[in-house]
Amino acid sequence: MGNKQTIFTDEQLDAYQDCTFFTRKEILRLHSRYHELAPHLVPMDYTNEPDCKLPLALIVDMPELKENPFRNRIVESFSEDGMGNLSFNEFVDMFSVLSEMAPRELKAIYAFKIYDYNVDNYLCKEDLEKTLNKLTKEELTPEEVELVCEKAIEEADLDGDSKLSYADFENMITRAPDFLSTFHIRI
Amino acid sequence: MSSASELVVGSSRSLLAAKRHRTVRKNSRRIYSAYRDHQQGSSDEEGGDDKEVDSNDPEEMFQNIQYQKEIIANIRSRPWPMRRKLKVLKQAREIVLKYEGQLTRTRGYQTAGADLLKKLYRVLYNIVVTFIPWEVRIKKIESHFGSGVASYFIFLRWLFGINIVLTIMTGSFVVLPELLAGAPFGTTRSKTIPKEHLASAQDLDTIWSLGGYLQYSVLFYGYYGSVRKIGSAGYRLPLAYFLVGMAVFAYSFIILLRKMAKNSRLSLVSASDENFTFCWRVFCAWDYLIGNPEAAECKGAAIVNNIREAIVEEQEKKKDTSLAVLISLRILANILVLLSLAGSIYIIYFVVDRSQKLEQEKPELTLWEKNEVSVVVSLITMIAPSAFELVAQLEMYHPRTSLRFQLARVLVLYLGNLYSLIIALLDKVNSMSSTPHESSSNWTNTSSTISSLSAQVPRISVSEHRNSTMATISTAINFVHNRSSLVIAYNQTIPFEKNARSQQDQCWETYVGQEMLKLSIIDMIFTVASILLIDFIRGLVVRYLSDCCCWDLESKFPEYGEFKIAENVLHLIYNQGMIWMGAFFSPCLPAFNVLKLIGLMYLRSWAVLTCNVPHQQVFRASRSNNFYLAMLLFMLFLCMLPTIFAIVRYRPSEHCGPFSGQEKIYDIISDTVASDFPLWFSKVMSYVTSPVVVLPAVLLLFMLIYYLQAIARSLKFTNNQLRIQLQTERTEDKKKVFQMAAARLQTPEASADKNPDQQESDIPSHEASIHTSSSQQNGSVTNVQSPINHSDSIRTITQSASGADLNEGHVSESVRRPAVIVLPKHQVEPLPNRPRHFIGGQSGSCRSKSCHHMAYNPPSGLSNAIHTDPLYRKTIRSLHPVEAAGIIAAQNYGGRRGPTTRYVIVNEHRPRRKLLCSATRIPRHYLMEEPTEILELYPRNIKHYTPRTNPQHPPRSHTSQQLRKEEEETGKDRKRTSLGKSLRPCSLPDHHQQAHFYIGERLDSFRESQRARNEIQKDDEEEAGKEGVDWGDFNLPSPSQASIKEKVCFHTQRHPVHSPRRQHQSPTRSRHMGSQLKPKLRGQLETHLTESDSASIASSSDQQNSSTDQYIQVIHSKERHLGSDVRQEKVSKKKTKANFDINYTESNDLICSNV
Repeated sequence: MGNKQTIFTDEQLDAYQDCTFFTRKEILRLHSRYHELAPHLVPMDYTNEPDCKLPLALIVDMPELKENPFRNRIVESFSEDGMGNLSFNEFVDMFSVLSEMAPRELKAIYAFKIYDYNVDNYLCKEDLEKTLNKLTKEELTPEEVELVCEKAIEEADLDGDSKLSYADFENMITRAPDFLSTFHIRI
Repeated sequence: MSSASELVVGSSRSLLAAKRHRTVRKNSRRIYSAYRDHQQGSSDEEGGDDKEVDSNDPEEMFQNIQYQKEIIANIRSRPWPMRRKLKVLKQAREIVLKYEGQLTRTRGYQTAGADLLKKLYRVLYNIVVTFIPWEVRIKKIESHFGSGVASYFIFLRWLFGINIVLTIMTGSFVVLPELLAGAPFGTTRSKTIPKEHLASAQDLDTIWSLGGYLQYSVLFYGYYGSVRKIGSAGYRLPLAYFLVGMAVFAYSFIILLRKMAKNSRLSLVSASDENFTFCWRVFCAWDYLIGNPEAAECKGAAIVNNIREAIVEEQEKKKDTSLAVLISLRILANILVLLSLAGSIYIIYFVVDRSQKLEQEKPELTLWEKNEVSVVVSLITMIAPSAFELVAQLEMYHPRTSLRFQLARVLVLYLGNLYSLIIALLDKVNSMSSTPHESSSNWTNTSSTISSLSAQVPRISVSEHRNSTMATISTAINFVHNRSSLVIAYNQTIPFEKNARSQQDQCWETYVGQEMLKLSIIDMIFTVASILLIDFIRGLVVRYLSDCCCWDLESKFPEYGEFKIAENVLHLIYNQGMIWMGAFFSPCLPAFNVLKLIGLMYLRSWAVLTCNVPHQQVFRASRSNNFYLAMLLFMLFLCMLPTIFAIVRYRPSEHCGPFSGQEKIYDIISDTVASDFPLWFSKVMSYVTSPVVVLPAVLLLFMLIYYLQAIARSLKFTNNQLRIQLQTERTEDKKKVFQMAAARLQTPEASADKNPDQQESDIPSHEASIHTSSSQQNGSVTNVQSPINHSDSIRTITQSASGADLNEGHVSESVRRPAVIVLPKHQVEPLPNRPRHFIGGQSGSCRSKSCHHMAYNPPSGLSNAIHTDPLYRKTIRSLHPVEAAGIIAAQNYGGRRGPTTRYVIVNEHRPRRKLLCSATRIPRHYLMEEPTEILELYPRNIKHYTPRTNPQHPPRSHTSQQLRKEEEETGKDRKRTSLGKSLRPCSLPDHHQQAHFYIGERLDSFRESQRARNEIQKDDEEEAGKEGVDWGDFNLPSPSQASIKEKVCFHTQRHPVHSPRRQHQSPTRSRHMGSQLKPKLRGQLETHLTESDSASIASSSDQQNSSTDQYIQVIHSKERHLGSDVRQEKVSKKKTKANFDINYTESNDLICSNV
C-alpha cells in the first residue's frame, strides 16, 4: 500500500479504475510493467502526471505483444499521435480495451482501427491484404490472398462500395462467435 | 495539452451530443455514435460533457446527475483516449459529488461486491477447466492441425468419459461386490481352475489367449456366482449384474442422444451465421492471447489452414466436370467398394471356418492359428479404409461429401466385420448352449460326483455335438486337450471327462467375452503398431533419408503420414462397439477400454504432433460431430442387438455365471419380482405386462410418436418461416445501410436545395424499411384487394359523374387538389365530350382512388421513393391516358372490371400515376415539408402541373425550354396513349406499357414540330385537368395523327437520347430508378449517376420483394444503367408494336413480383 501511494494518488487510482476495466492492483502492475520497459525514462512517481511517452519499439517488445502480427498497428491505433508513442494513459487504455471485460462494441471499434492500416476509416482491399499477409506470415499465394480479400469484402460490404465501413465491420464482427474471446490480451 | 481550450470550445456541441446519447439507451448505440463523434471531431468534444452541468438550469439538475452517473458507469466502454476519459470522469465526478456525495460510496460497495462475485466465478471456472483432461494437449493439437484433428481427440476424450462412467457402473455394482462379498477364488466349481489346467494356467500362452487364471477371474461372466444374495447385506448380485448390463446400454443411449441434441442445437445456432466465413477467418482468427512463439507459429499455421480450407470450399463450389464420366466413375467406385466389402466379409467367414476346422484337426495350435481370427479382422479394419480412400479419389466429390462417403463405407465395413464375427460366435454359442442343456439336467441331479450311468446319456449327446463345439472353440481347445489327457490318465472313463470338460468349458458367455476382449487387445496392438510403423518409422525415414535419396521424400512418394480423421474416428467408434458388444459378458471390458483410450490418447497425440502433417483439406469437423455421433448411435444399436439376442435367445450356461440354473437370463427379473417383492407388486406386474396393458401402451406410443412428429414438422415449417423473416430482416438492414449511404452520397453532390429533401425522404423511407417485412406482405394484400375497391369506386364515381354534371365531378377532384386554377380550363373542354364523359369520370375517379390507395400503402413501394415521385409522374401520367383510352374504347369498361388482375396492374402504377396526375398531391406533400424548395427540387413537376392545370397560362409564364419540353413530353405521352388506344384498346397492360415506353421516348417529342407542340399543350391541359376524362373524346379524332407523328419522332430522335432519359425507356424494372433520376437529371444532367444509383437502389429494392435481386441491383446498378441504355436503344430500334410486346411481358413480371 505504501508503495502504491508513491506512484498514484488514491484519486488517480479511482479514476483509472473507473475509466478502465482494471482493478487497482492491475493498474499498479501495469505501471510497473510500463516502468520496466524503460526504467530510466518512466518515473516511479505519477502523482503529478508527468508527460512521458515510450516509443513504439519498446512497447512492441513486450511479451504480450511480441508474437502478435498486428502489434505495430495495435500500438499505433492506441497512440494519440498515431506514431505509436504511448503515454502511460494510453498504455493503460490499450490493455483496458484488450482486457477480458471490455464490451464487444468497444473492442470492435478498436479492432476496426487496428485493421485500418491507412487510417482512412475504411477497410479497403489493401488493408485486408496487409492484414492477411501479417496473419499468415505471407504463406498464402497472392492469388489466394486476392481471393480471400475479395470474398471477405463481398461478404461484409453492405453498401457496395467495395470497402468496409465501420458499420459493415461492426455488423460483421458482432456476429462473429469468437471475436470476444480472441480479441483479448491478458496482462 | 490543448484539451482544456478544446474542452471549452466543444462544450456546447458535446452537450447536444450528450443529450442525443442519453436518448439512445442502448449501450452499443451509444458507443457507436460516440465513435462517430470521435471520428468527426473528437478534439472538439473533449470534456464537454461536464461543462454542461454547470450551465444547466436547476430543473435539469437531477437529470444531469443521472447522466453524469451514467457517464461514470460507462466511461470505460467509450472509445476515447484515456486522457479525455480521465478528464471527463473527473468533471462528472465533481458534479455528482457536488450534488450527491453519498451515492458514489454505496456504488463503490456494489461494484466491489460484483467484482468479487465475478472473480469467484472466474476462479471456479478456472478450477473446473483444470479438471478437464488433456485440454492443453488438445489445444496444442488444435493450434497445429486445426479443429478437425482436434475433434478426433475431443471425441476420444468424450468416449473416455463415457467409458469411465461405464467402468464405474460395472465396477461398483458388479465387480467390487463380487470381489468383496462373493465366494472367494477356488471355493466353487465355477471359480476354480480345473486341475488339469492348473499346470498351464500361468503359461504366457494361456494368459495370452485369456485362459487360465484370467478366465477364472472377475474379467468374465463365468466367474460370478449365482447365489441370490451375497454378503451380510444380502446384495443381489445376479440382479445387479443384469441391471447393470442393461444400464450400460441405457446410459450410452441417453448420453449419446443428449449429446446429439446439444450438438444439433449448436449447429443450428451457428448455421444461420454462415455468411461471414472469410471475414471471420481474417478478422477473428488471431488469438491475441498468444504470447509464446511456438504457439504463435501454431496459430499462424492453423490460420493458414483455415483460410485454405475456406478457399477450397469456395473453389469446390465452382468446380464441375463432365457428368457422364463422373457418374460412371462413381458407379465404378461404388462397385469396387462393394466388392471389397463383400471380400472382407468372406475372408472373415473363411477364417472363422478355417479356425474351426483347424481346432478339430490339430491337437496343438500355433500362436498364429489361435489368433488368426482377430488378427485377420484387425488387418482388414486397418487396410480396407485406405483402399476405400483410394477408391474415393475416383469419385471426385466435394471433399466434405467424400469424407462422408468414406466414413459411411468404413462404418459398413466395420459393422460387417463385427457382425460376421459375432454371427460366427453365436453359431458356436448356439451349439454350446444346446449341448449342456441335455447334459446338465443330469448334472444337477448327480451334483459333482458323476455316476457312470448318468454319464452315459450325456456322453452320447456330447459326442454328437462334439464336432461342432470343439470346432468353434479356439481358445478352449488347448484346455481340452491338456485336460483330456489328464483326465484320461486318472479317470479312465471318457464320458466323464467329456462331461467335466463340457461343463466347465461350455460357459459360452465367458467365451464370447474372451473373444471380444481378445479382439479389443489385438486391435490395440495393431493400432499401436500401425502408429509406430506407418507414422513414426515413415516419418523418420522421410525425415532423415530424404537427403540421401534421389527424389524428395517429403513431398513425393512416402511423404509424412497424414492424420486421417475419418478413419480414426471410425476406429474409435468400432472400438466402442466392441466394448458394448462384450460388456455384458465381460464386465471389465469398459475398464480395459478406459486404459486403452488413455494410451491411445497419448500415443496418437504424440504421433500427430511428431510425425503427421495436417491433412491438406481440413474441414470443420465440429459440424460433422453429429455425424460421428450418429454413427456411434448406429453402432451402439447394432452392437446391442447381438447381445440382446443372445440374452433373449440362449439359455445361460448351467454351471457358471450369475444366471446359472435359469431358463433365460431375464428370468432374474421375474424371479426377483415374484420372490422378493410383496404379492401385490407381482400382481401389478402381471397386469402391466399382460397384453391388455401392453397393447394400448404401444398404441399410445405410436400416437405419441405421430403427434410429436407432426409437431416437429410444424416446427420445422415455422423455423423456415422465421429464417426467411430473418433474411428479409437482414436485407432490410442492408437497405437501411444503402439509404444511409445514399443520403451521405447525396449530401455532398446534390445542391443545397436537395439536401433537405433528401433527408425528408430518408425519414419515410426508413420507416418504410422498418415495417417492410410486414408491410410488404400487407402491401401485396392490399394490392389484391384494392382492385376490387377500385372497381367499386369507379363504378360509383362513374355513375355520379354521368349523373351529375361532369364539371362538378371535376370540380370535386380539383378541389382535392390545391391547384384549383385548373377548373375553368377543364370546364371548357369537357363540354363537347359529355357523352363520353362518364368514361373520363371513371378515370378520374380511378385516379382519386389511387390517391387513397397511396395513402393506404405507402410501404408498397413508393414510400421510399416519395421524393422522387415527380419522376413517376410522367410514366404514370402516360399510363393514365392509356387507361382512359382503353376506357374510351369503351366496351372495355365492363371487361376490365371483371378480371381483377388487370386492375392490379393498374393499381400498381396508379399510386405513381396518381402522384403524377394529381399535381396537388405531391406538391402538397413537399410543401408541408419544405415548401420553399418544391420549385427548385421539382421544377419539372411544377411546370408539368402548371401546364396541365392551366394549360395556356402557365406555359407562357414559364416559357423556359424545359417547360416546353415537358409539355411536349406529356403531350407525347398522351399521344402515345392515344396511339396505344388505337392499336390495342382492350388490353390494359399493353397500354400501360406503351405509355411507359412512350415516356421513355419523350425525348423524341422534344423535337416535334411547333404545331405538334401546340396540340400537345392542349392535350396536356386536358390531361392535367381531368387526365383522361375529356381525353378520350378530345383526342379521339386525332390518334392516328398522333401516332404517325410519334413514329416519325421515334425515327428521327432515337439517337440523340441521353442516358437519363433512356433509363426511363428501360423496362419496367428499372423504371423507378429512371424516374428517380429524372428530377435530378433535370437540374444536373451528368452528376447524378452515383446519387441516383443509391437512391434507385433503395427504391428498387422496395419494389422488388426479393432481397437477392435487390442486392444484385445494388452491386451492379451502374452496369445496369449501361445495360438499360443498351436495352433502350434496342427497344427504340424496334417498331412500336414490338415494343409493346416487350413491355407487356415485362409488365407481367412486375405484376408477379408485386402481387
